[in-house]
Amino acid sequence: MDYRTVPTTCTYCGCGCNFFLEVLDGRIIGTIPSKSGPANQGKLCIKGWHVHQFVQSPERLTRPLLRKNGNLSEVSWDEALDYTASRLKEITSAHGSDSAGFFASAKLTNEENYLIQKFARAAVGTNNVDHCARL
Amino acid sequence: MTNSIAEVEDAECIFVIGSNTTSSHPLVATRIFRAKEKGAKLIVADPREVHIAKLADLHVQHNLGTDVALLNGIMHVILERNWHDRSFIEERTEGFDDFKRVIDRYPPDKVAEITGVSPEDILRIAEYYASAGTASILYCMGITQHTTGVDNVKSLANLAMLTGNVGKESTGVNPLRGQNNVQGACDMGGLPNVYPGYQPVNMLDSQKKFESAWNATLSDRVGLTIPDMLSGLMDGSLKALYVIGENPLMSDPDSHHVEKALKGAELLVVQDIFMTPTAELAHVVLPGASFAEKDGTFTNTERRVLRVRKAIEPVGESRTDWEIIQDISNRLGYAMDYDGPEEIMKEIAAVTPSYGGISYDRLEGPGLQWPCPDPEHPGTKFLHKDGFARGKGLFHAIEYQEPAEVVDEEYPLWMTTGRVHVHYHTGTMTRNSPSLHAEMPEGYLEMNHRDAARLGICQGDLVSVTSRRGTINVKTQITERVREGVVFMPFHFVESSANVLTNPAYDPVVKIPEYKVCAVRVEKAA
Amino acid sequence: MTQNVKKKVKELLESGKIKGFLGLCQKNGHIGPHLFCDPDDLESMVLGDEERPGDSRYPLNKLLIHIARSYPDETFGVLVRGCDERGLKTLYTWNQLNPDKVIPVGVACPQELADACECLRPYPEEFVEGERAEERSSASVTKISGLDVKDRFTSWMKEFARCIKCYGCRDICPMCFCNECSLEAEELIHTGELPPEIPIFHLVRAVHMAGRCIDCGLCNEVCPADIPLRTLYKKVADIIDEEFNYRPGYSEGKSPLNILGSAAEE
Ligand code: SF4
Ligand code: SF4
Ligand code: SF4
Repeated sequence: MDYRTVPTTCTYCGCGCNFFLEVLDGRIIGTIPSKSGPANQGKLCIKGWHVHQFVQSPERLTRPLLRKNGNLSEVSWDEALDYTASRLKEITSAHGSDSAGFFASAKLTNEENYLIQKFARAAVGTNNVDHCARL
Repeated sequence: MTNSIAEVEDAECIFVIGSNTTSSHPLVATRIFRAKEKGAKLIVADPREVHIAKLADLHVQHNLGTDVALLNGIMHVILERNWHDRSFIEERTEGFDDFKRVIDRYPPDKVAEITGVSPEDILRIAEYYASAGTASILYCMGITQHTTGVDNVKSLANLAMLTGNVGKESTGVNPLRGQNNVQGACDMGGLPNVYPGYQPVNMLDSQKKFESAWNATLSDRVGLTIPDMLSGLMDGSLKALYVIGENPLMSDPDSHHVEKALKGAELLVVQDIFMTPTAELAHVVLPGASFAEKDGTFTNTERRVLRVRKAIEPVGESRTDWEIIQDISNRLGYAMDYDGPEEIMKEIAAVTPSYGGISYDRLEGPGLQWPCPDPEHPGTKFLHKDGFARGKGLFHAIEYQEPAEVVDEEYPLWMTTGRVHVHYHTGTMTRNSPSLHAEMPEGYLEMNHRDAARLGICQGDLVSVTSRRGTINVKTQITERVREGVVFMPFHFVESSANVLTNPAYDPVVKIPEYKVCAVRVEKAA
Repeated sequence: MTQNVKKKVKELLESGKIKGFLGLCQKNGHIGPHLFCDPDDLESMVLGDEERPGDSRYPLNKLLIHIARSYPDETFGVLVRGCDERGLKTLYTWNQLNPDKVIPVGVACPQELADACECLRPYPEEFVEGERAEERSSASVTKISGLDVKDRFTSWMKEFARCIKCYGCRDICPMCFCNECSLEAEELIHTGELPPEIPIFHLVRAVHMAGRCIDCGLCNEVCPADIPLRTLYKKVADIIDEEFNYRPGYSEGKSPLNILGSAAEE
């Protein structure tokens, strides 16, 4: 038996509510608002209370997909990553670094956003990186 | 936000404009409720009678896209009545005279004509706001998503400076960030013109700094914004697009145009946790991990850096987004070898002055609000305490401009878009949450009963809504929430996606599309 | 002042009487619920007092139901205050928990907390920590009962109007365990609107809590609209007590309203 409560931060709006995800044997079974969360002080909105539901939705993408003969089909990570890297390389060597663009995301962590822009700038060599700050 | 969420509670006046706070930022609404309980005056300016508007001391429904006129009118009254803060203006600001010349041209009766708000109400807003010891402005997308978005924000800053409501507790001009980590994505340099910490890519100093930190040759050309990238795909100058955790086909204006653009890509990579309409068009789809499956940090709307902690393993074969990026980078020959998010944060702190003092050790509990420049710094509750970053606060002289699209005979109704309390963004997460889906399973068009009667439309009728860019079918909700001549649609629903209709006219400076105003025609669906 | 609780828990875990102890711990700078399974790892255990006593109370009983459902054959210890004990008793009568599989470890609340809660019995029958504080009756109910009917209604309507329909009052409540919730019944309450239909939304919940609410106040604390829900349910409890001489968690047996209750249970 493995029951844990993991303190974390809501992924929906910009309030930044803190809560515990209640995990039983590797499945999240509930959300408990944290009373020491500075923004929420033990409260949540309807989205926060149910935030665990989408995480384990059967609709989640679980395997990489690659378009083959017009259709997206499941492939291994190596195949998907090799394809992505080699196509990126081909395109940018032929048309220059600025022929590639990147959408970072307001839903990802700071660390991930940092890495995306570093990747675009240092690995690919373009400043074409933006996200939906405007939406 | 210039100030903190908790400070809202102690403001004597709160001016909410263009924010459906109880739906989009519910836990900020809590503080508004508390302030009201303590006797604060609450003013809401919103074209719709949203929930928070019903609780306000004064709610005005100004015409769509007339925010600048309304604000200029309020400031006109404040100046006329001598309610402005002269010493603050003298000591801490500049540009007042030019600004005043413009404001003089906005007497209340003229403003009433433009905005539909009566001169009496304009006077009352001015009085409530200017007479309060501390007044806080809260705004959201209702201010920014206009072709005049930047003008709107500058006008709010004018109003705050005019009355000295800046750089003190419980005051300020406070944007409520729409998505949980918009603040962080900006701070981290997820923008075409700046490195992390807003260091310009076209400034030699910062370029050199990052070249040595990253051991790479960097470009000093400012990159493309999202709208420009989409146009680039159309004209063939952009060939490859890598989209992480976004769904532009639904979230960007004029979906038909976006679809054409995306289809033009030679390589479209989409990394996400759900299959989205955008991912359907991709060449490669990479399954990322949700927030519950990884460690990291988010920065909330009050600049507070908060920990995200891994609760479960990534589902199926999905992987955390940082690992995916790292693997691709290595394949491209640019080596990355982080052992986890904590190590990435160390690098962030080293190159981002405002995050300089941030480390995982210090983020236990309530986190830290940037600027936090060094390991001893306690973080910053509110900004501009000792003056503005540029020295003095600058008044901007801003004239009202009409929205990019206005109603005419063919498209006689104003349409605006927004959120509802149970859903979020393009609905990929919330609509996959059974409890939220049950609360609101489908989209709708809000319409005033007079318009409905004139068009012979009844509650629940299926109607077709057409703009210059497309048509969608959706059910009607007849309501008093919107005024005659205005309709509203939430944008979370793929089967009735509001952004098929919206206008991709952008603010010229920051390229925010005018989601909040377009012209449409509504007919009973055949 | 967790020494006695820790000692007791250590004993229980070492003797194998319990599989785990559901209490509170300080972790990552937050106080929150935690299942202690290792007798040598109780260092982080706290009683939830951060700035004020009882500051971080959590619905431990409710979480225990979650765990017990998956592990019906195991016995668990759980930290209880007076309200939690009332909750446990009531949950036993509703067959939500098996009394043979639960070992409560009691703490008595300090006076400050008893005052704030207006608690009729701020201690469990047995406790290893704290001292018996004085019982308090409900001044908030008296105050609102003092208003005339019309003012009372207006004042409640004003409170309800702030509701953002988070369902937090239900989701935190240790006594809310129905599979189907009337608050979500579309024929009763329109969905998709803010505020939800008032006062129906709040009255439906108040009626459903009659004979079940054990007055822990967690709903009140969780409400983002700061609606004084506890006062409302205290009032309902007073009425039931007057009419049926029954107060959940204090009186023995099942609620006299179990017709209503058993329908809700299914
Ligand atoms: S729980 Fe609600 S208010 Fe809090 S961050 Fe999440 S979406 Fe925002
Ligand atoms: S006080 Fe509230 S949370 Fe506690 S039992 Fe009663 S209704 Fe439930
Ligand atoms: S907790 Fe408060 S805001 Fe949430 S549903 Fe209950 S009464 Fe409404």
